[in-house]
Amino acid sequence: MTEKFDKHILKNGMVLLGEPMDGVQSAAFGFMLPAGAALLPEGCCGAANVIADWVFRGAGDRNNRQLNDALDGLGLHRASSVGSSHIIIGAVLEASNLSQALDLYADVILKPTLDEEQFGLTRQLAIDGVQALDDDPRHKVMLKLREFFYPPPLGRSTAGEIAQLKTLPANKTRQIVKNNFNLSQTIFMVASKYNFDEICRRMENLFGMPPRKSGEPVTVGPKVGKYTHIHNEGAQVHIGLMTETVKPTDQDYYNARVAVSVLSGGMSARLFTEVREKRGLCYAIGAHYHALKESAGIMCYAGTTPEKGQETLDVIIQEFDRLSEAITEEEIQRAKVGLKSALILQSESSSSRAGAIGSDYYMLGRVRSLDEIKSQIEQTTVESVLTFLRNNKFKEFTVVTIGPKEVTVK
Amino acid sequence: MEFRKETLSNGLDVVGEINNSAKSAAVGFFVKTGSRDESSGINGVSHFLEHMLFKGNDRLNAFEVNEAFDRTGAQFNAFTSEENTVFYAAVLPEYLVEVTQLWIELMNPALRDEDFSLEKNVIKEEIAMYKDLPSFDVMEKCRSLHFDGHPCGNSVLGSEDSISDLTAAQMHNYLTSRYAPNNMVLACAGNLDWDKICSVAKKFCSRWPRQVGATRALEDCRGSKKKERIEKANLACEHICLMSAGVSAQDPRRFAASLLATIIGDDVGSRFFWELVDKALAETATMQFGAMDGTGTFYSYICCRSENVTKVLDAVSSIFHSLSQSGITEDELRKAKNKILSALVIKNELPMGRLADLGSNWIYLEQYRTIEDDINAVKAVTVDDIGSLIKQFSPGDFTQFSIGPP
Repeated sequence: MTEKFDKHILKNGMVLLGEPMDGVQSAAFGFMLPAGAALLPEGCCGAANVIADWVFRGAGDRNNRQLNDALDGLGLHRASSVGSSHIIIGAVLEASNLSQALDLYADVILKPTLDEEQFGLTRQLAIDGVQALDDDPRHKVMLKLREFFYPPPLGRSTAGEIAQLKTLPANKTRQIVKNNFNLSQTIFMVASKYNFDEICRRMENLFGMPPRKSGEPVTVGPKVGKYTHIHNEGAQVHIGLMTETVKPTDQDYYNARVAVSVLSGGMSARLFTEVREKRGLCYAIGAHYHALKESAGIMCYAGTTPEKGQETLDVIIQEFDRLSEAITEEEIQRAKVGLKSALILQSESSSSRAGAIGSDYYMLGRVRSLDEIKSQIEQTTVESVLTFLRNNKFKEFTVVTIGPKEVTVK
Repeated sequence: MEFRKETLSNGLDVVGEINNSAKSAAVGFFVKTGSRDESSGINGVSHFLEHMLFKGNDRLNAFEVNEAFDRTGAQFNAFTSEENTVFYAAVLPEYLVEVTQLWIELMNPALRDEDFSLEKNVIKEEIAMYKDLPSFDVMEKCRSLHFDGHPCGNSVLGSEDSISDLTAAQMHNYLTSRYAPNNMVLACAGNLDWDKICSVAKKFCSRWPRQVGATRALEDCRGSKKKERIEKANLACEHICLMSAGVSAQDPRRFAASLLATIIGDDVGSRFFWELVDKALAETATMQFGAMDGTGTFYSYICCRSENVTKVLDAVSSIFHSLSQSGITEDELRKAKNKILSALVIKNELPMGRLADLGSNWIYLEQYRTIEDDINAVKAVTVDDIGSLIKQFSPGDFTQFSIGPP
């Protein structure tokens, strides 16, 4: 499994990354624009979400309808997302339509119309989106968890705050697009069967503008709240829990990933076994690693009926705490096989690969090969994982619950 | 890609599509059973039984089953619908035989009493979880209202009460009659050694007894077209589901039906999108086509602010009115085809995606279809085909269920 990556940097600093894939007819691409929720000015929470929609409501010489018809005509499946650091706009489509799609996306990024009337509609949709989250407590609890776990503004809600969205003006939002769609800090990634030289030439033509200074780094404030409860007369208590661990740049990163996998990698992992299989407390229970460039944690979700909330939380925390006591060779082997297999299965999908190379470059400044990741996972042992856990005890848990009944966080 | 098939003497079909350039392989049992095959006294048994398969057989307990899967690094799971129960796994090629053997073993579950009572709690938690998801809840309630007594309206999860009342003996009877080799298919796709899979299937599945009673009453349903609304104090938005009759999974017009649903309710660029979402009347408005055994539905889900409900329903009614008056345009059809064709290509790049199509084509049609067969079928649909579909099925004549705040 030897793969290669392509990389080219435009004169203005925009990074182009490519992963050639032989067996596919699809192409997946994305632009990571430095306009994520944490990079917005104070009082504009939700603006990134508005922008991700607004830029598609007309660009270049096409109005809203014409632009969307042109995109649909290419049969592309759009994928926009707002994270802490970036707005990612991209798509997956048949590879033969890639160049035409890039032309349209260049308009969206460089020449969005940003029409006043369209702004009102897109802002209303963003407000409705936040309101709809109240009817999806399982999703909402994880957004709130990030908000309280990461020091502000890193965990700022990617959906937005209704009060701030209501007063968000169009001109200020326009200014954010102008300031934050900075090509000198933008990463473009593509995974497909392609001709990279051709893509680079096209991208140079489309995006080859003068370089710009980078934006101000984010100033991080103190962490807020250890336990937050949001009352909702629903059927379940939705529990979100997060605790700090090492970042992807840390030498112990792979030990941390294997440790999380022992905790919650498969159905034989600790949390599923103890919470669901032995006690029948939950249907949905699981934990995963979550990282920003500045900070990282292990994020856990469980949903259970109110009277079982406390026991569920207690068992989960007990499993986190117990992890550093002992891990068997068998458990480590299963965790490693699970991680390696997931890696290879994902490598068959062009959109997974495009996402992975972009995120690697942003986090690490380079793209890791699958071989490198595999061998790093391979090198972990019971001893290395336990040593890591003992030197990095889980100190504090940030907990958020949504439901009819609170829990007590000891 | 090469298609292979073998039928065992007890009626079990084993089908495979070999693609040696894939990095992975996928395998699954598609059992032709679901909530529509349940009598009222055992509602929820298909889904509960799906859970119970993971609790092991005479040789393996639940923990050993989980460990056996995880040792292979498989991404595995199962789901139950109104008419199918599917157990599947995606793995690296070297583990395919091991995982196939494991699924074969699990098809004869032990159904131990202690597992049965513990798992009841998990099922009840799952029921509670979906109660907190109004987008799901409204669909299920609308389905039941639409089918109005037809078995396709049976709840997949069952209710707290039906699950409490269910006994292990009832489940065992259901298992014996429905999990018959002549009522399921073993399918595999991707980078695989066909002869090995086949010999494993022959060795371990040949002794499963064929059953005569594993049939299903097929009756089309045009829907009740009733309208109902319930209130829930903790909700912030109005959740609306619309359901109308469509063609079946066996009907060649299913491709036209998919295109029609895309034209009306794809998440971007559809009529719903331009009239409801783009104008910020609704936060979500989508329509899908659900092909079923002998029947089918078009179903829409809309989420909007309470104060917009009237405007939204007026807009919906004018969309359907204009459809029935003027049909669709060539341009709409062209865009819908592009979207569906690219989705087909993307999905089928993964062995897991191929497995889903391979298995369901076998369950519904007993037919192998290549990706090209489907591509050609989509390409062949005309504006007139869609026009006659609209005429025959009047999608604007729907059952409606809403859940919202008081």
